[in-house]
Amino acid sequence: MKKFIRRALCLGGVTYAALFVVFFFDLDGKLLFNVVEPFLKNHYDNMERKDMLTTPYDMDKFPDYKYNEIH
Amino acid sequence: MDFKKAVKDFWYGKPHTAEDGGRRLGENYLPKTGLYKHREWRGVKDTFYYFHNIWMYNYLHMVMDVMKYGGLVNFAKGVWRYRWVGQTYLPVLHWFDRGLEGMRGEALRGSAWHYRAMVNATIYQFMAMFNADTRLHGGKKNDAWYHTMSMKETVWGGMFYGWRDKFKAVALEMIPYFVTCHVNSHTVHNYIDAVQSIGLPGDPCPMCQAEAGLFVLDDVPDYSPFMITCNEACDGSVGTAILQDWFNDKPLYALQMPMIFDDPLANKFVQKDIEKCWKFIEDQTGVPMNFDLMCEYIERQNELQKFEWEKWEVAAKTNSYPINGVAQALYRIYQSQFGDLPIWHEVDGHVRKIMERAVRNKTNTFPNTRHRVIAWSCAPLYYSNWCTWAYNTWGLNVVINMDSLMFDMTIRTDSYENMLEDVAQYHMWAPMRRMAVGGIHHIFELWDYMERFDCDMVAMYDQLQCKGMQGVHGLFEDEFRDRNIPAFWIPHALPDSRTVSRAEIRRLINDYMTTVMHEEPLDPSLLELDDDFTW
Amino acid sequence: MRDLKHLIYFEDLLQEANNELVKQAKAEGKYALGYTCYFMPEVLLDLPGCFSVRLRAPRCTSPDIATYYMSARVCHYGRSLFERALEGGFNFLDAQMATETCTVTCRFQEHIKPKHLDSVKDMDVIQNDKFFCEFTDVPFKNTEADYEYYHDQLKAHVLTPLHENLGIDVSDKALKEAIKQHNEVCKLINEIGDYRKLENPTITGYEFHVIQLVSLVCPKYLILPYLRETAKEMKTRKPDEKWPFRCKVVLAGSENDDPDFTKLIESCGAEVVCDRYCYGAVETRKPITIEKGETPLQAIARHYLSTSNCPRFMPQDEMRARKQRLADLVKEYNADGIIVVSNKFCEYWSYERVIDTIVMKRDFGIPVCSIEKEYINTASGQLRTRFQAFVESVEIKKIQEGK
Repeated sequence: MKKFIRRALCLGGVTYAALFVVFFFDLDGKLLFNVVEPFLKNHYDNMERKDMLTTPYDMDKFPDYKYNEIH
Repeated sequence: MDFKKAVKDFWYGKPHTAEDGGRRLGENYLPKTGLYKHREWRGVKDTFYYFHNIWMYNYLHMVMDVMKYGGLVNFAKGVWRYRWVGQTYLPVLHWFDRGLEGMRGEALRGSAWHYRAMVNATIYQFMAMFNADTRLHGGKKNDAWYHTMSMKETVWGGMFYGWRDKFKAVALEMIPYFVTCHVNSHTVHNYIDAVQSIGLPGDPCPMCQAEAGLFVLDDVPDYSPFMITCNEACDGSVGTAILQDWFNDKPLYALQMPMIFDDPLANKFVQKDIEKCWKFIEDQTGVPMNFDLMCEYIERQNELQKFEWEKWEVAAKTNSYPINGVAQALYRIYQSQFGDLPIWHEVDGHVRKIMERAVRNKTNTFPNTRHRVIAWSCAPLYYSNWCTWAYNTWGLNVVINMDSLMFDMTIRTDSYENMLEDVAQYHMWAPMRRMAVGGIHHIFELWDYMERFDCDMVAMYDQLQCKGMQGVHGLFEDEFRDRNIPAFWIPHALPDSRTVSRAEIRRLINDYMTTVMHEEPLDPSLLELDDDFTW
Repeated sequence: MRDLKHLIYFEDLLQEANNELVKQAKAEGKYALGYTCYFMPEVLLDLPGCFSVRLRAPRCTSPDIATYYMSARVCHYGRSLFERALEGGFNFLDAQMATETCTVTCRFQEHIKPKHLDSVKDMDVIQNDKFFCEFTDVPFKNTEADYEYYHDQLKAHVLTPLHENLGIDVSDKALKEAIKQHNEVCKLINEIGDYRKLENPTITGYEFHVIQLVSLVCPKYLILPYLRETAKEMKTRKPDEKWPFRCKVVLAGSENDDPDFTKLIESCGAEVVCDRYCYGAVETRKPITIEKGETPLQAIARHYLSTSNCPRFMPQDEMRARKQRLADLVKEYNADGIIVVSNKFCEYWSYERVIDTIVMKRDFGIPVCSIEKEYINTASGQLRTRFQAFVESVEIKKIQEGK
């Protein structure tokens, strides 16, 4: 049990220290800027997208929503 | 090495001074990227506050919020599908860093809570979109799709309080466009370029361009059966509605906002239009507007407004206001435009404690203030944190700004008639309307607010593509001169950082402070930064 | 074709706002009322005792002082009007009947308005002791509530100030008289304009543009005799044996009070047979009818909201119907294509032009030439190239269709 607690404390301590290192040296920012964002940008740039200019533009599709009866 | 000073700097952080041994925040940056070699050492207490209560707390809560509002699967699908969420919201902690740079003590704490609220509200909205989005659910219109309303981001969220028990109301562009610009200014360029690629000239307001560009690039979730649009704030918004209607191709109600909104005739007219809008929603949803529910949420919102007034009092009359310029501006516009949410109340509770403590202890929250500044007109979205930089570099403390002052009222709930009248008024006092594109005399209420907030300097935003504000540019020049008011202009193109770079904005302020005000910087390392590629 | 008898006179009248007929009317004790937008009903400003002048700033190429006040990043039209006002060119105005129907003309009118505020100086632009400027709020839709609101606005911000400040008779009888005069102008302009529908039109787009403009900027009672005579002259006017153009176009778009622009298009081979733009005749010259049970003012309010094709109108059905109406005009005037023009910095038309350019071609099969221009055109070489290329493409299409 003692060993487990010691291990847990050790692990907690190491995790805490590691997180602080990530925080202080902005490793999260560096990872996102240098790895994640370029990867995602590449994905978005190459995504298949609908040609929105083919969207129909029907003249009479929708009613006029005038609601003249409300006063 | 001065060991005593090193210990003191370690414990308290380096002092904010131009003298040798003062902090040099500009030296923390890696060139071009805006990334930090290391994050700022703010002294033991504030560094660990930042580490625990801001960095860890917000990363953790971002995950928890995502799980609470729809789950990691929907989130992952959304990230993979939409550029505006994937490219933007992952570096959100850097948005905190930029806005909170150099802050200490109560100012750090109060401002950070505002950021936390905005992150929660943002996650709430994009998860509501993703939960209902047919594109993420194999084209299926699920129950959430039938129970989510979409509106243009300039329509006040409170319009839909009467359906809050059954429906969510999510502004169509608030998250895909507006908030993205603050967090990651690169994303929006894609949308501006997209709409120009189909023939739109480059001169209309870039906000409106981006709002239409989202559709052109097929990057808008399909999360609602209908949409409410609005002519607020300007001609460009009306124009955007034309393109949006084409691409959205869903039932649309155009809610009007009179241009001459002070006219006594206008309020009654808007009341009718709001009622028609509610009728449209009833027709679309089959659910009647619940007046009691409307009042319940309005009362909740009134509480937020009352606390905002308390904050203004502290900002105006003391040096203990614990919120910096960017946090004040963004939180206020977000909260008042979106309408009531539990997170605003939670955060206001935290901020109240911090503010009351600061006032009680007479803490000078921005001790290096040289000028109390009011920021007027529309701010650069890609550099909303310029005021953090300006305080750190020049001691310019932006106490209040125009956008914060827009919805300056509570709404009566004692009768349907009074409620409707006030809702109409609130609607007409929307951002960019009351003082920017609205009647000319409201624009020049600046002088009254300067006096009220005890400001001695004006930061005048110069949105290069806002026809309304460009149209009165010279009158402001004349008035500043005649009244002998120190004022500097901040040219920008709202979301588009390519028109006027952040470096150019800083250069203009530096020039003004040295050549006109003959002042020396507090932190010379911040005068020139190469942050071209930063988020 | 033989020259129109009064064309040169009409051209002269367009050289400045305070033209010969305006001066004559002023000398006769009439009040001059300026306005900029269709939504300020011209007919109300033509009540007995006053006359309307739709403001223009011809030949204003360098609005320097206005640019200081309004920056170089707003529409040239608004700036040019302000420059002309600062030069004293609008001192003859007794009132400006203003609307905030587009941002920059609103700002121009706010600059010339005596504001009487402590917060901002009055520029005292219009040197006329009587001068006042009154704003009317114009709705964005055309439902019954909008008609009512617009009616009330017109009453409160047009009729009442005209009566109180200038003593104008605003009774129903006077309104009916103004409508009658207005309708006669409409009838004559439409009669003249209808010759553009002929296979070989007996009037050019340029000539019609000039005639339409003088009807907007001169006192109606003084220009009417000339219009009557021109309409009569048109009845016997013979076309050239060979039609001198290569195609016919509808010109649609934002503010355009420059006949030289129409001339430029026509010099490239495209005859402008229909003018659906601000200052054009399609909307402004529709006669006003008073329906049974309506007061004249109600009829006017309904007329102006129901006839406008301005992209400022936001109802979904209205936004879409505009495109259908544009296609209908192409058919009615036997046009081969559309030239859609937006003034630089005009936000409404920047967007409307995009959708017109794509949808008119895609859904109606109508060739579209999409142009952005300045208020006063200096880039005529570039535009000429665009128009010539468009005319050629229309011709090729016609050949392919075997026409």
